[in-house]
Amino acid sequence: MTSAQFEIQLIASLVAIACAIPGTFLVLRKMAMISDAISHSILPGIVLGFFLTQDLNSPWLILLAAATGVLTVVLVEKIQQTKLVKEDTAIGLVFPALFSIGVILIAKFANDVHLDIDAVLLGELAFTPFDRIYYDGMDLGPKALLVIGVILFVTILLLLAFFKELKLSTFDAGLATSLGFSPIILHYGLMSVASVTTVGAFDAVGAILVVALMIAPAASAYLLTTDLKKMIALAATFGVFSAISGYWIAHFLDASIAGSMTTMLGIVFLAVYLFAPSKGLIAVLYREKQQRIEVYLITFLLHLKNHSEENERHVNHLNEHINWQKVRSKTVLNLALKNNMIRIDNNIVSLTKKGETFTSKAIDYIVTYEDGLIEDMKDDFFLFRG
Amino acid sequence: MKKIGFVILICGVLFSCNDTKPKNGKFRIVTTTSMITDLVQHIGGDKVDVQGLMGAGVDPHLYKASEGDVSKLSNADMIVYNGLHLEGKLVEVFENMERQQINTVAIADALDKKELISSALFASNYDPHIWFNVEYWKQITVYFANKLSEAQPEHKAYFMANAKKYVKELEQLKVELDAEIATLPVDKRRLVTAHDAFNYFGKAFEFDVVGLQGLSTATEAGVQDVQKTASYIIEHKVKAVFIESSVPRRTIEALQAAVNSKNHNVVIGGTLFSDALGDPGKPEGTYIGMLKFNVHTIVAALK
Repeated sequence: MTSAQFEIQLIASLVAIACAIPGTFLVLRKMAMISDAISHSILPGIVLGFFLTQDLNSPWLILLAAATGVLTVVLVEKIQQTKLVKEDTAIGLVFPALFSIGVILIAKFANDVHLDIDAVLLGELAFTPFDRIYYDGMDLGPKALLVIGVILFVTILLLLAFFKELKLSTFDAGLATSLGFSPIILHYGLMSVASVTTVGAFDAVGAILVVALMIAPAASAYLLTTDLKKMIALAATFGVFSAISGYWIAHFLDASIAGSMTTMLGIVFLAVYLFAPSKGLIAVLYREKQQRIEVYLITFLLHLKNHSEENERHVNHLNEHINWQKVRSKTVLNLALKNNMIRIDNNIVSLTKKGETFTSKAIDYIVTYEDGLIEDMKDDFFLFRG
Repeated sequence: MKKIGFVILICGVLFSCNDTKPKNGKFRIVTTTSMITDLVQHIGGDKVDVQGLMGAGVDPHLYKASEGDVSKLSNADMIVYNGLHLEGKLVEVFENMERQQINTVAIADALDKKELISSALFASNYDPHIWFNVEYWKQITVYFANKLSEAQPEHKAYFMANAKKYVKELEQLKVELDAEIATLPVDKRRLVTAHDAFNYFGKAFEFDVVGLQGLSTATEAGVQDVQKTASYIIEHKVKAVFIESSVPRRTIEALQAAVNSKNHNVVIGGTLFSDALGDPGKPEGTYIGMLKFNVHTIVAALK
C-alpha cells in the first residue's frame, strides 16, 4: 500500500467518525436530512464569498459556506418553533429557498464565471493525498486530514463535555428545560457542529459520501442498540468499516472511491436491517410466527381444559373440531408435548399439571392484563414479552 | 470506538497488496482532458508514457476520479492540465503538487492573459476553452515542448522535432479550416450552442457565438434566455443550432420549439465536440480531427 492509499483510508475513517457523532443525534432527532439540505443551501455563501474576493480558490468561500450552513439550521429551527410544520417540512422549506437565491445570483451577476458548488467546494477523496499543507517547507500532511482532524477533535471534546445534556435534550426536551439546560442552545450547538462537519467533510470527500456517512451508520446502529453510547460507537465502527472496505472494493474494481464506500454503507445497513437480533426483519418475522403458534397453543389448551369428554380430546378429532389443518395441529401438538403440557394416552389428549397451571395463568393474564403473574413465562414465550 | 477503527485500518494495511509500479523506465506523464492527452502524445512520442485522467467523451465538469487515478497521480513524473479553473478544484490540487517535487504544467500559462476572454464583471476569471483557437494551441505546443525538454534534457532534440512537425500540422489545419469557413458568408457565421464553450472559436474564425446558458452548470437556461436567443435566431435567419455532448439535449430542443412556434424553421445542425474528444481510433479522437469535424458540421449546417 502506498502512502497515498493509506492517507485516503485514514482521512475517510476520520470523516466517518466525525460524521457518526452528529449523525447519531440527527437520526434520533428525526433531522437526518439536514446534512443533505446543507449540501445545497451553502451555494449563496459560496457566491457571496466569490463576489467579495473575486477568487474561486479563496478560503472565504468555504467559511461563508459554513456560515450559510449554520444559517440554514437557524432558519429551520425558527420555522419549527412555530409548531405549525414538522422538522422535515421546515428543512424542505429552507434549503430550496437558499439554494435558489444562489442560482439567481449566479444567473444575474456571474453567468460568465464557472461558479458552482462542484467547482469550489466538493472534494474528491482520490486527490486528498496530493493537496498538502506546508509550513516552513515542512510537509504537514494532506490538508483534508488536518481539517477533518481538527473538526473531529472539537466534536469529541464537545461530545464529552455535553454528553449528558445532549442525551437529555434529545430524548426529553421538556425535562431538560425544567432541569435548567436550554435545549435550544444545545440544539443550535449540535446543528452548528453538524453544519461545520458537513462543510469541512464536503471539502475533503464530496457531498454524497458525507450525507451517507451521517445517516447510514447511525441508522444501522439505531436498529442494534438503545444505549446512546453504544449507538455512537457502533455508528463510528460501521462508518470506518464501510470506508475501508469500500476503498478496497474501489481499488479492485478501479471505480470511484466515494461511490464504493457509499455502496458499502448501503450493504451494511441492509445486513443490519435483515439480521439485527431484535429489530431486524428476520427476527421480526420469526417472532410473529412464534407468536402465532403460541396463540394456537393457548387456544388448544383452553379447548382441552373446557372439555372432559374423551371424544372431544381424540387426536384425530381435533382437526375437524378446531378447524385446523393437519400440519398446524401437528406443530401445536408437538409444542405442547415438548413443554410437558399435555399427555397422550391411546390417542386421547389430556392436560398435565403444568398445562393446567399454564392455562389458568394465561386466562388470568388475558382477563386482568396483570403483568406480574406471567413474569416467569416471558423467557419461554414471545407472546408475553409485550 | 476509535480503537476499533484503527484496528480495522491496520488490518487494511496488513492485507493490502503491494502495488508494483509499472516501471518501464519511461517518463510518466498524467494529463487531464483528452485534448491535452493528444497533444502530449504528439510531442512525447515513444519517449514518454501518457495516461489521461479523463477519457474520450468525458466532460471535465462531470469527471469522477476512480481509485486507479490515485496511483496514476502518485506515480506521475509530470502532470499536464488546462488550468483557468477548467478542472475545478483539481487545479488547486495541481498547484499544490508543485511543491511536492512533482512537475506540473498548466498549458494556459503558455498564453498571454491579456488576450484571453475574461468575465465581464470579474476580470481575473477567464474562459478556459482555449483549445478552440488553433493559434493558441500552437503556442501551447511550443511551451509544452520546452517544459518537457527541461524535464528530459536528453531527449530535447526529439521533442523539439516533434513539436516542429506538429506545429506544421496545426498550420496546415488552420489553412484548411480557414478555406472551409471562407465558403460561408460572414453574415451566416452565427453559432448558437447550449453553453459558452465556443467563444475562442468565434473570435478566431469571426463567428458570432451565442450560448444559451452560462459557463456554470448550476444554473439552467431561463425562459428569458430562450426567448432572447430565439429572437436572435429569427432576426438573423440562422439555419441551424448545435448540441454539445455535455449539455442536456432538451435545452436546445426547447429553443428549437420556441423558434419554430414563430414560423421560422431552425434545425439541429449536429453534435459538436466541446470539452472532450471523440473515441480514440476515430478521426475525431485527435485534436486535429475534432476541429475538422466541428468546422465541417457547422459549415454544412449553416450554408
